[in-house]
Amino acid sequence: MEYNGSAVMAMKGDGCVAIAADRRFGVQALTLGTEFQKIFQMNKYTFVGLAGLASDVITLSDQLRYKVKMYELREERPISPETFAHLASSSLYEKRFGPWFVEPIIAGLDPKTGEPFIASTDLIGCINFAKDFVVSGTANSQMYGMCESLWEPNLGPEDLFETISQAMLNAIDRDCIAGWGAVVHVITKDKIVTKHLKGRMD
Amino acid sequence: MEVLFGITGKDFALLAADTNQARSIVVLKRGEDRTVDLNRHTALAYTGDPGDAIHFTEYIAANVRLNEIRHGHEASPNAVAKYTRNALAGYLRTRQAYHINMLIAGVDKTSGAPALYWSDHLANMTALPFAAHGYASYFCMSTMDRLWRPNLTLEEAIIVLQKCVAALKTRFVASLPEFKVKVIDKSGIRVIDVKFEK
Amino acid sequence: MKAPRATSTGTTIVGCIYDGGLVLGADTRATEGPIVADKNCEKIHYLAPNMYCCGAGTAADTEFTTALISSNLELHRLSTGRDARVVTAMTMLKQMLFKYQGHIGAALVLGGYDVNGPQLYTIAPHGSTDKLPYVTMGSGSMAAMAIFESRWKKGMTREQAVELVKDAIESGVFNDLGSGSNVDVCVITKSKVDYLRNYRKPNEREPKEQSYKFKRGTTAVLTTEITSLVDIETEPSNAGASEGRA
Repeated sequence: MEYNGSAVMAMKGDGCVAIAADRRFGVQALTLGTEFQKIFQMNKYTFVGLAGLASDVITLSDQLRYKVKMYELREERPISPETFAHLASSSLYEKRFGPWFVEPIIAGLDPKTGEPFIASTDLIGCINFAKDFVVSGTANSQMYGMCESLWEPNLGPEDLFETISQAMLNAIDRDCIAGWGAVVHVITKDKIVTKHLKGRMD
Repeated sequence: MEVLFGITGKDFALLAADTNQARSIVVLKRGEDRTVDLNRHTALAYTGDPGDAIHFTEYIAANVRLNEIRHGHEASPNAVAKYTRNALAGYLRTRQAYHINMLIAGVDKTSGAPALYWSDHLANMTALPFAAHGYASYFCMSTMDRLWRPNLTLEEAIIVLQKCVAALKTRFVASLPEFKVKVIDKSGIRVIDVKFEK
Repeated sequence: MKAPRATSTGTTIVGCIYDGGLVLGADTRATEGPIVADKNCEKIHYLAPNMYCCGAGTAADTEFTTALISSNLELHRLSTGRDARVVTAMTMLKQMLFKYQGHIGAALVLGGYDVNGPQLYTIAPHGSTDKLPYVTMGSGSMAAMAIFESRWKKGMTREQAVELVKDAIESGVFNDLGSGSNVDVCVITKSKVDYLRNYRKPNEREPKEQSYKFKRGTTAVLTTEITSLVDIETEPSNAGASEGRA
């Protein structure tokens, strides 16, 4: 998990969810790129953020996308974020004794009710359903601290954006191997706002 | 002690690989070619376990060629890089995982846009404007970060490369006398002769 | 390189038989090393309508092991046409855990009510089992057992048993660092289960006195991209009006 370095988090708001990640790609202390994708859109309302080994981030995101597409073709309806969390969890537990080195975070709105949903799982698929926020990656203790103090219930999309952005930026400033810019997606019933944040590049 | 460089420019990508074949502290051979042409517009440079690297790159080159014959279509550098990564990632959790680090460079044959992909033996892959493998990355990423800018001409890119090698010559313990340098642009792949100061 | 750590449930889980039923109890803290990963997780898992199972150890293992056995018990019920017995569930769990030689890190407290009345078992990760009138497991097992050993007696009422289980879990919550937050209780009697989620909340968080909301526009943004998910349909007004999409 410390090979590449990463920070991913998600927060629930009032009728919205936000998911954020850093953009660094590096190998231990050497930063190679600052445009690495760690958050993937699975369908209209479901996003997954993958923190951990970059190789597995790519492999697992491809595999999950494939599974979601097969599910949606079979069922002829979009997968709900909750079902997707269970899909991700089973996919990880399948490799119980030789796991993917990733800790996913799932954020989305229920396609029917629009109910916000966030969850995280550990590297072997133990799901943590949260009502406030979830974090994952090398900066996790910093992110817990930031989220615990900044998050409050019933934030609207604009305030949720500021809260998650500040939580993310200040957390990654205290992690040497995560950071170099960040991306935030705020998902509401009628639109997805994606913002790239200006962060410290050191 | 093996070293690779990759630099993208305006309408070309450049790959450079040192030509020393060494084992432990002994130089076994000079003039080793650590580059492979995957198709007309994509080339690969590698370091790693020599047996693994040759076996794997031959496998990739053959399959890229097979795919081209089957479909009558030359794959883009992007497609080739992702195919290569998938193959490497597939072997990663088996007992015959290949220990190979690569730079894959090329240009899109229609748009002429250059592409450079960095991949290590764990199949971590990312697209980069400039890249290095081996100990060179610790010495030369900063050099390239300072000197690289978008839309470099070939002459300027060669100067960047020369400065990187100069940095190695002054601060790196191992001597790396020669580099094989390949340029990929719309007209294909060609080897160029670059003079490095002694 | 440090090996990645899975979520584990540094846990207090207990069970206690009384006259006419049994009570299961659990704390609700999930940990990742020294970090509290979940402050209110569920550790009492459903196995069958007459059986529940508390899990300690590697969280994913307790979750998936109980889910698998639960499925198998349902198939068992459907093929035999009668309720599964607690020994059956216990045997299925111990055989699975023994097969994996302790690599599945699930320590379980299994409780259920069948034709033989209320029964309580513990199952250790290597597959060994115990059948006892009161049991504790997890990192808080000593703290909880201290309560049982001093106060458990034969022939308790339901109220007494629930009270004792609650105190045993609270003893784990307050004296074991790996256990914390709330008390979950599950009372299983003949033909009835009362799952008392968050039966006690001795560690409720005070609401924040101030808001740390940032002023909108605080965060420096490089690029913004908005994907609209709304189909805008213009009302067909006059002849030739067309449908537009945004």
